[in-house]
Amino acid sequence: MTVEERILELLIGPQHPASGHMRLVAKIDGDIVVELRPNIGYVHRSVEKLAEVKKYLHIIPLVERPSLADTTANNLAYVMALEKLLGIEAPPRAQYLRTLLAEINRIHSHLYGLGIHGVMIGSSTAYMWCFGDREPFIEIAQELTGARLTYSYIIPGGVRRDLPQGFEDRVEKVLRYLENRMKDYFDIYFNNPVTRARLEGVGVLTKEDAIKLGVTGPNLRASGVPYDVRKIEPYAAYPELDFEVVTREEGDALARVFVRIGEIQESMKIIRQVLKNIPEGPIFHEKYVKMVPPKLREYMKETGEVKFPGTFANLRVPAGEAISRVEGGRGEVVFYLISDGKSLSPYRMRMVTPSFRNVILFEHLTKGHRVADIPAIYGSLDYFPPEADR
Amino acid sequence: MMQDLLSLIFEPYIFVPLIYPGLIVAFLLLLLVIWLERKIAAKVQLRYGPLYVLKPLGGVIQLVADLLRYLFQEPIIPRATDKLAFITTPILLFATSYLPAIALPVGPNFTAIRSDLSLLLVLALSTLGPIFTLVMGWASNNKFSLIGGVREGYLVVSYEIPMFLSALSMAVLYDSLDLIEIAEAQKGMWGILLNPLAALTMLILIYMSTSKFPFEIPEAESEIVAGPYTEYSGILYGLVMGASYIKMYVLSLLFAILFLGGWNPVPSFMASDPILPGVLVFIKAFIIIFIGIFFRAVYPRFRIDQAMNIGWRLTLPMSILSIILSLLIVWLGGV
Repeated sequence: MTVEERILELLIGPQHPASGHMRLVAKIDGDIVVELRPNIGYVHRSVEKLAEVKKYLHIIPLVERPSLADTTANNLAYVMALEKLLGIEAPPRAQYLRTLLAEINRIHSHLYGLGIHGVMIGSSTAYMWCFGDREPFIEIAQELTGARLTYSYIIPGGVRRDLPQGFEDRVEKVLRYLENRMKDYFDIYFNNPVTRARLEGVGVLTKEDAIKLGVTGPNLRASGVPYDVRKIEPYAAYPELDFEVVTREEGDALARVFVRIGEIQESMKIIRQVLKNIPEGPIFHEKYVKMVPPKLREYMKETGEVKFPGTFANLRVPAGEAISRVEGGRGEVVFYLISDGKSLSPYRMRMVTPSFRNVILFEHLTKGHRVADIPAIYGSLDYFPPEADR
Repeated sequence: MMQDLLSLIFEPYIFVPLIYPGLIVAFLLLLLVIWLERKIAAKVQLRYGPLYVLKPLGGVIQLVADLLRYLFQEPIIPRATDKLAFITTPILLFATSYLPAIALPVGPNFTAIRSDLSLLLVLALSTLGPIFTLVMGWASNNKFSLIGGVREGYLVVSYEIPMFLSALSMAVLYDSLDLIEIAEAQKGMWGILLNPLAALTMLILIYMSTSKFPFEIPEAESEIVAGPYTEYSGILYGLVMGASYIKMYVLSLLFAILFLGGWNPVPSFMASDPILPGVLVFIKAFIIIFIGIFFRAVYPRFRIDQAMNIGWRLTLPMSILSIILSLLIVWLGGV
């Protein structure tokens, strides 16, 4: 038999239990993957083009939609770019609240990724546990913002709501709950001999390749590169907080899992610091507070809920360009905004999501592995097709 | 009239294939085991599991509802399949899965087929099923089905030899291939205590042969959709899904007879009756099934090469050692 005859082309997806909204075109020789090409674009929603006809404030919920498990990163990055154009900066209390939500979001985004990875290698328990334990974090985020996933919490000049009464105690309870649960996770899933056998040494990404391919997020840090936008180019309240960048040297699927676990622990540390050190003060930029009618200003003081000033309806942004970077749960999110200063919409918006930068790994990591390793590697990347397609 | 009918039913050659361990008990067990599997997994995973079908009993007849749905669902037969093979293999797979049960003794004096070679007969009949899984993978004309069928084939060659060796090491130990004699010989001490190595090997391989976690490799959902069963729907899917549980049930009964003392300890005046010995063997087999279905909540699944490694590099030496252990025990004075 010639080589061509031996090779079987396997179309994994888009109608496949573990493909997600994409198709993986795998060429396999027996059980060995010769080539795996991701076929992306099934959930392309043209966010960048839509942004050119939407008003600045309407873009906030729009950019959240693509990465549903990790909305705060997109929300924050977009608003940071917008604030650069507007030439304003949110007050310190708002910066802390942004950090708080970003870290809550990071935890439940990582749990989402770990859960999906679990069911991809066959552990339905890991899946159910991660999704179940994601729930308390969604609940506290809901208490803070009013929404479960699409928070739209961060607005130009501040955040939408102040901390609710007694929020710290409830967050502390949730954090303690997850800390206790982590022991069970290690007992039944992370230290399970079968999990170890499936993930150790699978899909190894070397340090050099990781840098060369432009990989980002936990996938990069699992290859031993301590690159984290929160440290490299600190934003929000991160300069004042004490946390470590979690890295692993191995670069395999298990290392990527452990980096996520480490980051969950670091996020819990950050949340505790934020709630301890959060300064008193306004949560909305005073320039905008002044524009709100006096009666509504009273209401804002009483309830801690921000009322939008009339100018937000037709927010005009001075001409210019701005770029912002944020470390989201899956990696670095970049937003680039151009305003022509005349229209009510950006002239151009560029949105670079971490999943889009990590998609190259499918082809790179799976070569030479077995068919059963495809989902093991896929899950370890925490790849989210809608986020990559935008 | 009624008396005649009852005595006819209690004739071994009708009772064994039809009632216990045959069709009726097998079906009831299927009902219970699948429900229990989902319920245990749900308990571990902080969920409810099946609940609404017969709510006071926690949804125990969920499978009846599922079965009704399977029955009324249109069994779609894709155009490009090999029709004859596609339709007949699920039926044959189900039938051959429970076929070995007819050679299993229910009590010391109660068998459908009294044979000196009943252990061999059971083992031989249990090898028929995987052939149909392979045919199923081929007949479906689907790449995932084909891969699933081939995986099943690979697993068969890696579990069958060590499984038979470990079962036969008990035949060496008790100097008989007759399951009744083997069970009777365990009156004092159970086989699992004399040759724990053989018991462990057999236990691992029972789970491998019935594709229970962590060996749920032929139908690995996240890799190859449903393996050989990908194209099946309706009652045909119901049959193939049930087949692996039936096989597990039969092999667990065999395990109970070989290693767990069979119907011992049963009082001798009850021994001629099929009820009490049958219940005892059933309970022992059920424990084995229970462990198997509990693993679903504990383990992810192995890769095919890792499972074959376990078959050839771990359990084959273990089964050979267990034969040596049996020979040693016989040499040292026997049972």
